[in-house]
Amino acid sequence: MAYEPVLTKFVNEPNSYTLDFYLKHQRGYEGLRKALTLQPNDLIEQVKASGLRGRGGAGFPTGMKWQFVLKDTPKPKYICCNADESEPGTFKDHVLMERNPHLLIEGCAISCYAIGAKVAYIYIRGEFFHVQEILEAEIDKAYKAGYLGKNILGSGFDCDVYVHRGAGAYEAGEETALIESLEGKRAQPRIKPPFPAVAGLYQCPTAVNNVETLCNVPLIVMNGAEWFSSIGPEKNGGPKLFCISGHVKRPGVYEASMHTTLRELIYEQAGGMIDERPLKAVIPGGSSVPILLPEQLDTPASFDHIQKAGSLLGSAGLIVMNDSVCMVWLAMNLLHFYRHESCGKCTPCREGSDWLFKLLRRVEAGEGQPKDLDLLFGVSNNIVGKTLCAFGDAAATPVLTTMKLFRHEYEAHVREGRCTLPASWRAEHPIFAAH
Amino acid sequence: MDSVTLTIDGRPVTVAKGKTVLQAAIESGISVPYYCYHPGISIDGSCRVCVVKIEKMPKLQTSCSTLCADGMVVSTRDRDVVEARAGVFEFLLINHPLDCPVCDKGGECPLQDFSYTFGPAESRMDFPRRVFDGEGVKADVDFGPTLMLNRNRCILCTRCVRFMKEIDGDAQIGIVDRGYGSEIATFQEQGVHSLISGNLMDVCPVGAILTKDYRFKSRPWDNPGVVDTICTLCSKGCNTSAWLKAKPEWARGSRLIRMTPRYNPDVNGYWMCDIGRFNYHWIEGENRLRRPMMRGSAGSAAQAAPLEASAWHDVQPRLRDRLQEAGSGGAFHFLASAHASMEELFVLKQLAEALLGGDAMKSVSIGWEATEKPQPATTKFKVPVTDAPNVNGARDLGFAVGRGNEGPADLSGLRKAVEAGTVKALYVIDPAGPKGSLGDISWIAAARRSGALSLLVVQAVVTSELTEAADFVLPGSAWVEKDAIYTNDQGRVQAASRAIAPPGEALEDWQILVNVGRSLGVALPYESSGDVRRALAAAMTGYSEAERLAFMRPVPASTWMQASNPSERWKWDFLFQDLPPTKGHNVQMEGLPAQATPFIPLKPVQ
Ligand SMILES: Cc1cc2nc3c(=O)[nH]c(=O)nc-3n(C[C@H](O)[C@H](O)[C@H](O)COP(=O)(O)O)c2cc1C
Ligand code: SF4
Ligand code: SF4
Ligand code: SF4
Ligand code: FES
Repeated sequence: MAYEPVLTKFVNEPNSYTLDFYLKHQRGYEGLRKALTLQPNDLIEQVKASGLRGRGGAGFPTGMKWQFVLKDTPKPKYICCNADESEPGTFKDHVLMERNPHLLIEGCAISCYAIGAKVAYIYIRGEFFHVQEILEAEIDKAYKAGYLGKNILGSGFDCDVYVHRGAGAYEAGEETALIESLEGKRAQPRIKPPFPAVAGLYQCPTAVNNVETLCNVPLIVMNGAEWFSSIGPEKNGGPKLFCISGHVKRPGVYEASMHTTLRELIYEQAGGMIDERPLKAVIPGGSSVPILLPEQLDTPASFDHIQKAGSLLGSAGLIVMNDSVCMVWLAMNLLHFYRHESCGKCTPCREGSDWLFKLLRRVEAGEGQPKDLDLLFGVSNNIVGKTLCAFGDAAATPVLTTMKLFRHEYEAHVREGRCTLPASWRAEHPIFAAH
Repeated sequence: MDSVTLTIDGRPVTVAKGKTVLQAAIESGISVPYYCYHPGISIDGSCRVCVVKIEKMPKLQTSCSTLCADGMVVSTRDRDVVEARAGVFEFLLINHPLDCPVCDKGGECPLQDFSYTFGPAESRMDFPRRVFDGEGVKADVDFGPTLMLNRNRCILCTRCVRFMKEIDGDAQIGIVDRGYGSEIATFQEQGVHSLISGNLMDVCPVGAILTKDYRFKSRPWDNPGVVDTICTLCSKGCNTSAWLKAKPEWARGSRLIRMTPRYNPDVNGYWMCDIGRFNYHWIEGENRLRRPMMRGSAGSAAQAAPLEASAWHDVQPRLRDRLQEAGSGGAFHFLASAHASMEELFVLKQLAEALLGGDAMKSVSIGWEATEKPQPATTKFKVPVTDAPNVNGARDLGFAVGRGNEGPADLSGLRKAVEAGTVKALYVIDPAGPKGSLGDISWIAAARRSGALSLLVVQAVVTSELTEAADFVLPGSAWVEKDAIYTNDQGRVQAASRAIAPPGEALEDWQILVNVGRSLGVALPYESSGDVRRALAAAMTGYSEAERLAFMRPVPASTWMQASNPSERWKWDFLFQDLPPTKGHNVQMEGLPAQATPFIPLKPVQ
């Protein structure tokens, strides 16, 4: 059965982002109209029944998150849409916002109604200038058409949506760091508990949801929970966007059900490997998750299946690598990113990510010693589980996963004093900033 | 109060509800290290050294951010915890300069202490360390008028950031850049400008923030004595500790080496202001009065004769004669600073009553100054306007103090009487620093020079325009040189302990008054300040506890050095319980056992 995209069906149409197009081709704002006739609680129940899981990385059930949002409080409540999308290998939210912004706007309004909020902030990644322009222009149109603002569609429900652009920090995507940044502070995470659902933005009850998560909400309201959960495996329902990058013929964003296997995604959707070279490794969920090997390609790309295979679906950013990629180089490349993006708040991540990078640079350059390998392992383990936010684990993962699966490559670097992959196969080095 | 009971390292521990696991551990004497936690500021959970294992929780938890719950089972010694903790200590030190031998925090540094206890034996780091402004003490950069900053030593605990934001009320310190490049900074490198900036040195768990006042001056092992006392520079009465440096008699420099705040939740919390912290140099300064002085021979030529240092036994009879000449009634007047202690004012009152009878209370004026201190409106540590410690005490004794601590004293009536020549003889008592504590008193000196006043007696601690105009100068003692009590602006009676002896022949001020009284035939039956307090406690309502206040003597710094950071003295109470206890030192009036006030040997007065 061929899968029919619902989130990205029209993204290649020139005018797909306009309100007119949305109303005409995507039953635009029908979901909102319908939602406003329901009780907020029933809406939450519907989202729970659909089994929608957060698309931001953790796969936490969205309905449950909304239910945790404190009800009995005189304080205002907020929806924060996480549009920081900075995980290496992840570029799906960008497409939704740029090509289908009204779906997100509608999702924000419905979600506000569901949790009793009147304001949604879309926290958008620092580099997304043009996306912000599009979003803000379309939000304006939604206001003028009466889908946002006061007394929406005559229901008495008021809702405002604002776009706030960050200053360009990966860590700003962590939900509490995002909230801090929205409040005008450094994007550094808070201690949890309290969770945002209890004390979030301005210490008020807040739900932080990913762009793709919120985009699914109007679809669930319109088509029903059953429709949603029938797409994909049990507890992994709904349409899903996959970002496929690396040594594939057609890198890009693909929409599929979570029944789809990694092999299908890579070899059918993305057109297979460039030059038909063998696939060496795939990181299935953005740079922070463990590597899967060629023999695991028949794993369905669902939260639960990927987890069972020993990795995580994360942000569904598939980074596909052929046999030219040196795994020590890969780890070094990623650690360059993590030590640059560490917010520096907590000791193990701030100090450890820098140390790991320096060790990797030395080993990769062929100047490492056997003790450096033990050290890489030891330092990584001293980070994992000891940090304030999940960044620490993410930063150590590239080292731990490559050492676990490709230790022989590390050993070869130390033994031979150089990378042993044929030079012509080497991927180009990243250009490192001065340190 | 609700309490919860949990188990830490197999020991049942009961604490008040709302306490964190770290606080529970500290209270029960179980060592858990910490850096970003400070009891006076908000919880940050960032340094990660306080990790513990809690049953039923999958990951290790930071104890500073975990609330105690009934039945919780906590381990601080589990293998996982020991290893994780050592790992964090290794991280903390990989970029730390370890220049302890030249660092002013050395010897009282929580990073040193805890690293020895909980850190790995050696570092596996073999890359060059991160360097910010230079190496060694060259990396010390100006951090405002009172402080120096050494960014290389900083462990980014953000205590200083939170202190400025939450306590000072003006978030002048921030972190710029991020990750491994994070550094402490102020806007455009302007440094910290705050009336309570000195607390940053105490708050900083390493030698990154230092006061210019203490930098390069001493090391903890050079400070053999520490005395718990209070500050008397304003009406707040912060509880403090006076630090004494070991120093041979003949060596230059002073013994008093620094003042640090001492925790009192009801008065000053963990803090003190920069006035109280840095304004002590005059005590052992050049301008101290060390010997009594008087002018040449008696008679009309007195004013022209130079002031000459003399001996108490020569000054005493001459002073008696001149005071007797000055007579009684409206012509004779006392002006006492509200820096005078309860004991001093109590003796003064008895002396005035004996000499002047019914007019006594009208013939004693109390003086003090008040200055508005510029502070952020949101500050949590407000420095009061009144620059004297005992205005409320003077009021309790029945002296007229007008609006009290709300503003400066009004001495205009006395000034009129002096300038009109109605007051002929004036006896001034001012045991406060260089500028005195009575405001502009040039009119007194002028009145003596013009002859409107025919006798001026000044009992003070430093030379001033007033002492230069005086007929008699009687050297008294600064607050750290005598055991005395003061009543702060909350009405709290607190003890200031004698940390050092007064210089030369200077005497404690109550003793001078007693001696003057006795020479005039007034029976003042006191042989020690303790005697005065006993009489005072019996005579005054609300002061029954006064005689039971504890006065501290120098505590050996060996015990102090265990306390690491002075501001964390409270920690020492709990964490280092195997050391000799000095419990109760920070509790002033809470049912302490009666303690005999030690007799202070005084030089014989003939
Ligand atoms: C270091 C870090 C970066 C993150 N970045 C993003 C991000 O860019 N976008 C996102 O949606 N979630 C990100 N997350 C996950 C969020 O913290 C949060 O779980 C998510 O926004 C919740 O939304 P969801 O329930 O809809 O998935 C990040 C988490 C961490 C620890
Ligand atoms: S783990 Fe890293 S990113 Fe997260 S709080 Fe700590 S330093 Fe910041
Ligand atoms: S300067 Fe001191 S108090 Fe401030 S962050 Fe650094 S170590 Fe902490
Ligand atoms: S606030 Fe007053 S009592 Fe406290 S240290 Fe400052 S001057 Fe002394
Ligand atoms: S003291 Fe607990 S994390 Fe710093």
